Amino acid sequence: MDRIIDTIEAIAALFVGLVAADIFISVMLRRFFSLQIPDSYDFGRMLLGILIFWGIAATSYRGSHITVDLVWAQANSRWKRVIDVFATLVLLFVVTVQTYTLFDKVQSTYNDNVLTFDLRLPTWPFFAVAWIGDVSAVVLIAIRTWRLIFHPEDIHDARIDQEAGSR
Amino acid sequence: MSPDTVAVLGFVVLFGLMLLRVPVGMAMGLVGVSGYAYLSGGGPALKLIGLTSMRTVTDYQFGVIPMFLLMGAFVSTSGVSRELFRAANTFIGHRRGGLGLATIVSCGGFAAISGSSVATAATFSSVAYPEMRRYGYPKSFATGVIAAGGTLGAMLPPSTVLAVYGLITQQDIGKLFMAGIVPGIFAMLMYMLTITVITRVRPDFLPTAPKSSWTERKAGLRDVWAPLLLFVFVIGGLYGGVFTPTEAGGVGAGGAFVLGVLRGRLGKAEIRASLLQATRTAAAVFTVLIGALLFGYFLTITQVPQTVTEFLTSLGIGRYGVLALIMVMYLVLGCLMDAMAMIILTVPIIFPVVIQLGFDPIWFGVIIVMTVELGLIHPPVGMNVFVIKSVVQDVTFSAIFKGVLPFIATDMLRLIILIAFPVIALWLPSHM
Repeated sequence: MDRIIDTIEAIAALFVGLVAADIFISVMLRRFFSLQIPDSYDFGRMLLGILIFWGIAATSYRGSHITVDLVWAQANSRWKRVIDVFATLVLLFVVTVQTYTLFDKVQSTYNDNVLTFDLRLPTWPFFAVAWIGDVSAVVLIAIRTWRLIFHPEDIHDARIDQEAGSR
Repeated sequence: MSPDTVAVLGFVVLFGLMLLRVPVGMAMGLVGVSGYAYLSGGGPALKLIGLTSMRTVTDYQFGVIPMFLLMGAFVSTSGVSRELFRAANTFIGHRRGGLGLATIVSCGGFAAISGSSVATAATFSSVAYPEMRRYGYPKSFATGVIAAGGTLGAMLPPSTVLAVYGLITQQDIGKLFMAGIVPGIFAMLMYMLTITVITRVRPDFLPTAPKSSWTERKAGLRDVWAPLLLFVFVIGGLYGGVFTPTEAGGVGAGGAFVLGVLRGRLGKAEIRASLLQATRTAAAVFTVLIGALLFGYFLTITQVPQTVTEFLTSLGIGRYGVLALIMVMYLVLGCLMDAMAMIILTVPIIFPVVIQLGFDPIWFGVIIVMTVELGLIHPPVGMNVFVIKSVVQDVTFSAIFKGVLPFIATDMLRLIILIAFPVIALWLPSHM
C-alpha cells in the first residue's frame, strides 16, 4: 500500500518537473532563439492541473494540508485521534463531491471537443488524467480514514511525526 | 433564514470546522458551497465546485506558486543555507553579536530564494543555532534571532504569501514582489541594528568569534555567487518586464536545477526530494485557494464584504483608525492560524474596505504581510517559534519568546514607519 502512495506522490512530483521544464525551455527558446514550443502555454496550464490534483491526493494522505492545530495540540492522544477521524471524514466527503462534479467538467470538455490553441489537440485527456488524480485522492483519504480508525500505527501524518520527533 | 443570518452561521461553522482540524481550504469550500446552495439552490452550487476547481488548477497565472516553490526547494536541498551563513559569518561573525548579524543576513539571502518564513526558520535552526551555541550565545537570543530572521521569508521576493495575496486580489504579482524588496532590506537592517543596540547596552551578553582571513572570505563568496546571480537574474527579469511572474518562477526553478547539477549539489535523491517538497506545498496552497474561491461566492451572495465595509467606515474613527483595527484583528488571528490561511480567509472581506478607504492595494499587501508575519513570532502561539522548538530540543518556549521580544518591538516600529511613509514600499514598483 505504501508503495502505491509513494507512486502517486512520485507522479505528482514528475508533473511539477514537467511544468518547470516546459516553462523554462519555452522562455529560453523564445528569448534567445526566437523559437516557440507549440502549445507550450496550454501544456503548461494543463500539466499544472494534473500536478495539483495528484498532489492533493498525496497531501491528503500524508496529512500535510494547512490546518489550525490549536485545539488538536492541546488534546490528549485519544481526543487527537477523534479529531483526526472527524477531520478526515469531512475531507473524504468534500473530495468525493468534488470528484463527482469534476467528472462533469471532463465530460463537457469531451462533448464540446475543446482543442489546444496551436496543435489543435483535444484537451479532454489532460482533464481526465487530472480527474484520475482526484479519484486517487478519494481512495487515499478512504484508506487514511480506515487506518486512522483501525490501524493508527500505520499513519505517517506530517504533524504527528514532527511531534514524535520533537519528543 | 436571511442572508445575514446565513453568513453569521457560515462563519461559526467555518471556525468550528477549522478548530476541529478540517483542512482550511476544505472547510472554506464546504461552508461556501453549502451556504451558496442554501441561498441559490443545490444545482448551481454543485456546478460551482467542478468549474472553480478545474479553472483554478489550470490557470497559468497560478503556476507562479509551484514554480517558485520548486526553485526554493532546489536551492535549499543544494545546501545554500549553510553556504550563505558561512559567507556572511566570514565577513561579520567576528564582531560582538556577529553570529547573530550573520544569521540575519543569511536568513535574508535564503528568504530571497525560498519565499517561506517557516522554511527559513526551520533551516536556520539547524544551520545557525549550533554555531551560535558553540561560541556561547544564550539560547534565548540565538533562537530569537532565527525566529525574527525567518519572517524575512514572507517579505523578500519571491514571497509565496505575497503571490497568494496578488492572486486573490488580482494585483500585479511582479509589483508586489518589487514592493517587498525595500521593506525586506529595511527589516534586515533594523534587526541588525537591534542586535547592535543589545551589544552596546549589554557588552558582555554576546561573545565574539575568531576573525576570518581574506582567503576564507573569498572562499565563502565563491560558494554563494551562483544562487545570488540566479536571484538577480529572476527578479531583474521580472522587474524589467522580460518575464511574467509564472515564467520568472519557471526560469528560477530551471536555473536552480541546472546550477545545482553543474555544481554537483543535486543528485537523484536531492532532485526527488525537491520535487516532492514543492508538490506537497503547492497542493496544500492550491487546496486553500480553491476553498477561498468557493467561499468567495458565498461572501458575494451574502454581501458580507459590503456589510463589513459599511460597518467599519461608519465607526467614525478615520481611515487610519480602521487600519489599526484591521491590524489588531490580524495580530489576534495570528494566535490561531498560519499566515497563508489568515490571508486567504480574511483578505476577500477586508480588501474592499481598504480600497474604499483609499489605501494603495500594493502597499496594503506589504503592510498586511508584515502584520501577519508578526503573528508568526508573537506570544502565545507564534508558528515560527513552534517550528524552531521542533528542531531545537534544548530550549523552552518561554526562552524563545524572551529572545524574540526585542525583535517584536523593532517590527512594531518598522510597521509604523511603513504606514507613515508608503513610499518605502511603493518607490520600486512605481518604476516598473
